[in-house]
Amino acid sequence: MKVLIIEDEKTLAYEMETFLKKAFYLCDLAHTAAKAAECIEMNQYDFILLDLGLPDGDGLSLLPKAKKHNPEAAYIILTARGNLEDKIAGLDLGADDYLAKPFSLLELQSRMQAIARRKFNVNAETVPLGDFSVNLQTRFIYFQAQQIELSRKEFDLLSYLLLHKNRVLTRMQLSEHIWGTFADDDYDSNYIDAHIKNIRKKLNTYAPTDWLETVRGVGYRIRK
Amino acid sequence: MKLSVKLIYFITGSKIAVVLIFILSVPFLVERIASEYTNYSLRDQQKKVMNNVRRHGVGFYLQGDKSYGSYTMLKEEYIALEPAGPGADMDTIQTEERIVEQDTLNYRVLSYTFRVGSNRYLLEIGKTTGSINQYNKPLQRIALYVLMGLIAVTIIIDLIFTRILISPLKEIIQTKLIKRKFPFKEPAVPVKTSTGDFKYLDQSLIDLMDQINVDFEKEREFTANASHELMTPISILQTKMENLLAEENISEATTMSIIGMMKTLGRLKKISSSLLFISRIENAQFARTDQIKPAKLITDVLEEISHRMEEKGLKLHVSLSDDVTLNNVNQDLLFQFFYNLINNAIKYNVEKGSISISDHRGRSGYSIVISDSGIGIAKEELDFIFDRFRKTNLGENVGYGLGLSIVKSIAVYNGIDVKVASVVGEGSKFTITFGDFDAKITGGKP
Repeated sequence: MKVLIIEDEKTLAYEMETFLKKAFYLCDLAHTAAKAAECIEMNQYDFILLDLGLPDGDGLSLLPKAKKHNPEAAYIILTARGNLEDKIAGLDLGADDYLAKPFSLLELQSRMQAIARRKFNVNAETVPLGDFSVNLQTRFIYFQAQQIELSRKEFDLLSYLLLHKNRVLTRMQLSEHIWGTFADDDYDSNYIDAHIKNIRKKLNTYAPTDWLETVRGVGYRIRK
Repeated sequence: MKLSVKLIYFITGSKIAVVLIFILSVPFLVERIASEYTNYSLRDQQKKVMNNVRRHGVGFYLQGDKSYGSYTMLKEEYIALEPAGPGADMDTIQTEERIVEQDTLNYRVLSYTFRVGSNRYLLEIGKTTGSINQYNKPLQRIALYVLMGLIAVTIIIDLIFTRILISPLKEIIQTKLIKRKFPFKEPAVPVKTSTGDFKYLDQSLIDLMDQINVDFEKEREFTANASHELMTPISILQTKMENLLAEENISEATTMSIIGMMKTLGRLKKISSSLLFISRIENAQFARTDQIKPAKLITDVLEEISHRMEEKGLKLHVSLSDDVTLNNVNQDLLFQFFYNLINNAIKYNVEKGSISISDHRGRSGYSIVISDSGIGIAKEELDFIFDRFRKTNLGENVGYGLGLSIVKSIAVYNGIDVKVASVVGEGSKFTITFGDFDAKITGGKP
């Protein structure tokens, strides 16, 4: 998958690139609207991550032109402005999603994956997970043909860990994903632990869940 | 005491005082007027006598006698003409006693000496003073009646006039101070009055409010800009830490300290975004067009937050009517509103405590009451719990001090009234009232 990161903060753009590269995305960087326009004309991208506050112009005004050259691409607006008008304007102009800064890179990738599933039909099939298989589209988990009931939050947790497999996710990162802006500051509370315990309990009746690891003092990881 | 009442008291009092002084001084005035008049009429008579003397000679009166005297029937007036003895010339008017036929009477006496040929004569014209003072009593009475009547009439006029005069003051207070809701969005309309003082007061209040608005605007802008400017560096730090945490070859100690840093950053993020959130509410960036059923909304909030409640083993009683719809509110804001309140009810509760959520319809609107069996809020802190960064419950689980500020902002923005009652050690009770215009109360279920 090819990604264009339009972001004037070079450090931030670089960190995004580092992260996405590890998830096997190919990244181009553009720090100005002019450079971005050039990239969009020259290449075809799957994802265009668009910061709104650019030194030489408003990111939003890039959107219609970009859509003309890259109609297939998925657009995610990234902004520190975070006001409602921007969000509505962005989505009206055909952006697929909207992330307010500061965002977690894990969250960014999760959104990108959701769009990919929706738009490009990636991972529409079930994903194997130990002896289980997970359908991210329908949000069901199966043991052979047997469908297992997980609560909404339990499934969110499991799919987030699965998306970032082989990476330790902290309780805080998991909390922020599950509860979003309602995540409180008590990251050390055991709400996440309770959910993980429930997931293990439900799945262990069918098959072992040793792929779901507890990393002491840090958090959880799905190893595959 | 009201200004108009004070004015009326003062005006009436001063009028009555003036009238009393006048009435008391009537005898003196009458005496003065009478005496002036007597003097005048004595001089007049003197003139007539002297005219006669000049025209007809002194014999006109004396008729050959040495002297002449004449009284009116009741001795109220007399006139005497006699040769003057040696001495200085006289021309005086004095009050003197005269004995007339065994009666001693007070007279106002004009004495005048004049010459005819070589003879000097003394003319005396007298008038009793007793007749002068007899009008005092009726004059006083009539003056009292007339003046009291006039006072009554003027007081009614004064009442009407002061009321009209002072009415702009009431209007200024009503429109500028009581009814205006902060922040003052619409420009203030000057109160119509021709009284300079009120114009001055009105203009001063308008200026003051404009100044407050400007300052508030600046603060709001600063909060928005500052929080916004913080977001980019926080983003950079967050992404750096996330990438660092994913490095393969870092030690456990490093991992732990990165996690520690991320927690601190999370705190910073939460504070900035809360401030930004408040400033967005204050900037009216949320539409108020939703219709929501509070029972449903609170059920959603409780579902979102149930894990916290379970952890503390809290008992929950919810009794909300299904048929209430709130109009012209923002769903997201109201969700956050109830979330924060219920979250506090959990956070500051005791283990195995309880939370009760109920509603009722009263005259002032539709109210939802959230009460908890928590640690409570001290009386002296109650006024400040909605202030930013105010932390009253300094227990182990202290937040950022912004939760209730957000509640307050949302309440102000959506026209919700929030009242708090609390007893330390027993719990707190938040009463949330939605005004009638916001609460569409439909009938019972069909």
